[in-house]
Amino acid sequence: MGAAWTLAEPICHLLVFTLLWSQIRNRTVADVEYPVFVLIALSPFLLYRNIALRLMDSLRENRSLFGYKQIKPLDTYVARMIVETCLSITVYAILVFLFAWFGYDMRVSNPLEWVAVLTLGLVFSFGLGMLLALITHAMPSLKSVIRLAFLPLFFISGVMIPASYLPQWLMPYLIYNPFLHLTELIRFEVVPYYQTVDGISARYVIEWATILVFVSLGGYRARRLHLISTKNG
Amino acid sequence: MFELRNVTKSYLTPKGRRYVFRDLSLALPPGKNIGLIGRNGAGKSTLMRLLGGADIPDSGTIVTDRSISWPVGLSGGFQGSMTGRENIKFVCRVYGATGEAMREKVRFVQDFADIGNWIDEPIKTYSSGMRSRVAFGLSMAFDFDYYLIDEVMSVGDAQFKSRCEEVFKEKLQRSNIIVVTHSMSEIKKLCDIVLFVNNGKIDIYEDVAEGIKAYKK
Repeated sequence: MGAAWTLAEPICHLLVFTLLWSQIRNRTVADVEYPVFVLIALSPFLLYRNIALRLMDSLRENRSLFGYKQIKPLDTYVARMIVETCLSITVYAILVFLFAWFGYDMRVSNPLEWVAVLTLGLVFSFGLGMLLALITHAMPSLKSVIRLAFLPLFFISGVMIPASYLPQWLMPYLIYNPFLHLTELIRFEVVPYYQTVDGISARYVIEWATILVFVSLGGYRARRLHLISTKNG
Repeated sequence: MFELRNVTKSYLTPKGRRYVFRDLSLALPPGKNIGLIGRNGAGKSTLMRLLGGADIPDSGTIVTDRSISWPVGLSGGFQGSMTGRENIKFVCRVYGATGEAMREKVRFVQDFADIGNWIDEPIKTYSSGMRSRVAFGLSMAFDFDYYLIDEVMSVGDAQFKSRCEEVFKEKLQRSNIIVVTHSMSEIKKLCDIVLFVNNGKIDIYEDVAEGIKAYKK
């Protein structure tokens, strides 16, 4: 079930959006086919979301392993990120292959920069996930709130529409969302001549990632003994 | 030697916080085999996990200068969806046994636990007896100053118990054990001192018979 869902989730998203989109607009966005346009940002976004959310559970899931003193909570965070990344790469590779098989153009226009942006996103989401894990360890009731908060994030991060289609009057606020920067930057590296909206910069995400990793590692250092403790169930 | 200094340990239950130990201090003499006795839920397993560093007290410190095994218990320590062999290899890697040393330990556990082909089945398909045999054998494959054994021997069959005694006889010449058990005959056979855990307090009995008497009262 779990294995099937990892592959089915992005496909379901793609199908629904493509159907909706073909009803209201034409089939291309920024000169690429719409499913391709969505896929290149959807897969990384789902990966980043999964990392950010799944790290909250990794302590509970691996509780039995802390019996071995050498295994620290940080190990479970890193392991979870590696697992999620490998899964996502596999799913993405399968989907790209399928798309190419059916004649879509799956070329990446700036491969090296693309990989760099994807890696930046990983660092960012790891910092975010670890911080959320530390927060929800101290306050377990926040878990469901955080999960819910990721639903609207899906719509305001420009995953299924280019950021330029988002309401302009909201843009000054939406631009604070680092996920929006990430999706736009990824599309910019994949799609030739893609126009990002004003204010998108890698620098902004790098600042976020640096601060998040710094704060979460500092918080981890301070809380590392509490994390192993079964005090909070 | 173990020393507990002002240890407080609590758990959060749906009905509020429950304290297992409050401001507990005691020193355990070195070189003794220690038996933990007490009613269900008195805190024996918690104490053992604290001693082994698998759990952390809310406040206070636990000091020791010995190498201590992980708590070998009925639950935990294994990843259920992985096979027995994979779990054993995982622990071997954690404890730095690779290559030939790892193969030797896998063989040892396989022989000791007497599970044959089951070693390549997921742990979650094991019966509790098989699981405890693997857990126990795995800890015996490594050398520690103290072994923490939490009721694993009581679920095994007679054959397994005699094999346990054999390996204990050899291990106890260099190492010590801390056991949690409800079998008084085991306590008498293995332990030099008894800790009676009761109502968040711990009484040390240098005389095993006396400790058992206090528990039976």
